[in-house]
Amino acid sequence: MLQIEPLVIITILVPWIGALVVWLIGDRHEKIQHVCAVVFSTTAAISSIAMLWVYRSGTVLSFSMGSSYGNFSFVTDGLGLFLATVATVIGALTIIFSVDYMRGSAQLGRYYSFVLFFIGAMVGLVLTSNLLLMFIFWEITALCSYALISFYNDDPKAVSGGIKALIITQVGGLGLLLAAALMYAYTGSFDINIFISNPSLFPSNILGVMAFGMLIAAAAKSAQFPFQTWLPDAMEAPSPISALIHAATMVNAGVYLLARFYPAFKDVPGWTLSVMIVGMLSALMAALMALVANDLKRVLAYSTVSQLGYMVYAVGAGGILASQFHLFSHSVFKALLFLAAGAVIHSVGTRDMREMGGLGKELPFARTVFIIGSLALAGIPILNGFWSKELILEAGLEHGNPIWIYVVMLIVAGLTALYTIRCVWMVFYGEKKQGQHIHPIGRNMKIALTPLAIGALTTWILIGPFSKMMSLSLPVHFIQEIDLGQLFNHVVFAPATWIALAVIALGIMTWFGKPALSGIQEILKPIAGIAQESFGFERINKFIVDATQGMGENLRTTQTGKLNWNVFYILVALVVVFAVLMIGA
Amino acid sequence: MNISTSMIVLTAVMGLFGIGLYCLLITRNLIRVLVGLQIMVKGAMLVLVFVGQSQGQPSLGQSMALTVIVADTIVAVVGLALAVQVKRSIGTLDIADISKLKR
Repeated sequence: MLQIEPLVIITILVPWIGALVVWLIGDRHEKIQHVCAVVFSTTAAISSIAMLWVYRSGTVLSFSMGSSYGNFSFVTDGLGLFLATVATVIGALTIIFSVDYMRGSAQLGRYYSFVLFFIGAMVGLVLTSNLLLMFIFWEITALCSYALISFYNDDPKAVSGGIKALIITQVGGLGLLLAAALMYAYTGSFDINIFISNPSLFPSNILGVMAFGMLIAAAAKSAQFPFQTWLPDAMEAPSPISALIHAATMVNAGVYLLARFYPAFKDVPGWTLSVMIVGMLSALMAALMALVANDLKRVLAYSTVSQLGYMVYAVGAGGILASQFHLFSHSVFKALLFLAAGAVIHSVGTRDMREMGGLGKELPFARTVFIIGSLALAGIPILNGFWSKELILEAGLEHGNPIWIYVVMLIVAGLTALYTIRCVWMVFYGEKKQGQHIHPIGRNMKIALTPLAIGALTTWILIGPFSKMMSLSLPVHFIQEIDLGQLFNHVVFAPATWIALAVIALGIMTWFGKPALSGIQEILKPIAGIAQESFGFERINKFIVDATQGMGENLRTTQTGKLNWNVFYILVALVVVFAVLMIGA
Repeated sequence: MNISTSMIVLTAVMGLFGIGLYCLLITRNLIRVLVGLQIMVKGAMLVLVFVGQSQGQPSLGQSMALTVIVADTIVAVVGLALAVQVKRSIGTLDIADISKLKR
């Protein structure tokens, strides 16, 4: 009989052991490395799927770590378990994809080790109920993300993109650490579940600091306003990494954090509104930037930011189930899109969409799966993106949420459809460009893409068990269970759905009616210009970097390197300390 | 004037520490820096023994002092070895002239 405890350990530790093994095999045995990575990641995926059958709520595993760290405990509730499954299954699929994509690449050991290390850490992050341990896993995922963005470390753009991602997510890590320290200071433990069931133990101002610390952490991790700039630059990573870390798993950790702590923070004044506004601004700005970007992967990165904005908005609006369901759908279809884009890039050898075009005939398989993913992204009915996005938009109308944010989100749905169709058109249709040499798509790539494409068509069927698991295992989140029929009634007979569909259709029509709308295009030119400059956020980043470096350069004069002066300063400091103590006493 | 043991010990500690600190403040010779450092550490050791005695745990203080002696010996050995190497490769022991690690 299967037990949950060993499965939790297997799911976390098997990828880590795999990371070590692949690294120890060495880069001279490339074939064995491929096989090992696939075997270890698939084992983790199978074990996490097995957990779905035997899960039970409450703490399943607990390691005592002494009085100051609390117990390192793991819980398998709906929120964590399904993200763990997403992380391992999509992880396994991206590793299968990588067998073709990374073939012949140097230093494969480093690549696979970090991917496997990441998968294990991500599972730990979502399953643990100890905030300190969560913080550690949180930072491990940031480290792996950095190392994999900079995987091609002879490319300066990749290195700077990785460092940018690391620094910006560190800002978020500080927010999480602050919240963890405050939690420990007031409850004497790091247990998340104790905290979210009795937030009233905290003074309201401390709770407010924690809530906004968590919001900063989530925004930095999920590339939300005002930290969204790292994700597009992270696209220097190999495509499977973009699919796994920067679309399907790690960037969702922020949304997961908000959803996990929502019951504790929802009564903090202004918090839910701030969450909604952060989501709205990210969704809107990223959608506009996706409209003018020409790099295929950057378009997808902006659309990830935009869709994450939807999820953050849903959490703020109180639709935890909607946000998590969209997270699930988004992981599937965005991983599909990134992997398909990776296959196209691998075949064509460029990421610039202006150099592509008319590829549909050469790459029919890639075209089919990419279009399935795009339709899900645009929110066309039947595909999983449609159902989850409608749930989010409906959540935006409930609970007396502000209507103007809902309207903006509706417009973003139209923009999403517009940039998606623009992207598909530029890559697969239109005129064929001269002088292209196209490689065929490998077999392993197809093996990895097929289940994701099927998933993008069908995962919405799982709403019944999905919502049941969440409502049963998360007592304080008050998640309502809905089955497939209810979802159907809920979505199809709501006027909001038809409005949203009309907006989406309008977005698609805008693309085909482009010549007729050239007058409007002229008017919108300045906005496009600002969007291409990423709304000035790159300039702010550059200013901060320059200011920090300039300050460091100026402070160098205080570092004389002369021992005598250093000892003198120590003495002065000592005198000052004594003086303060004397006055204080 | 009544002179107690603790007065004597504290005077010795302050003297040793002060001499060492003064040495670090004014000297530029690497060997002398090391000697100054050693004198300071001796003062610190004396404090350990003295505090252990006065708090009723003499064995704890003394064992700490012994640990410091061991660690301090290593510091002295490594420091002196470094000084020898510095003298050989740079040709001076003046710490103001040793600036190869500075960018």
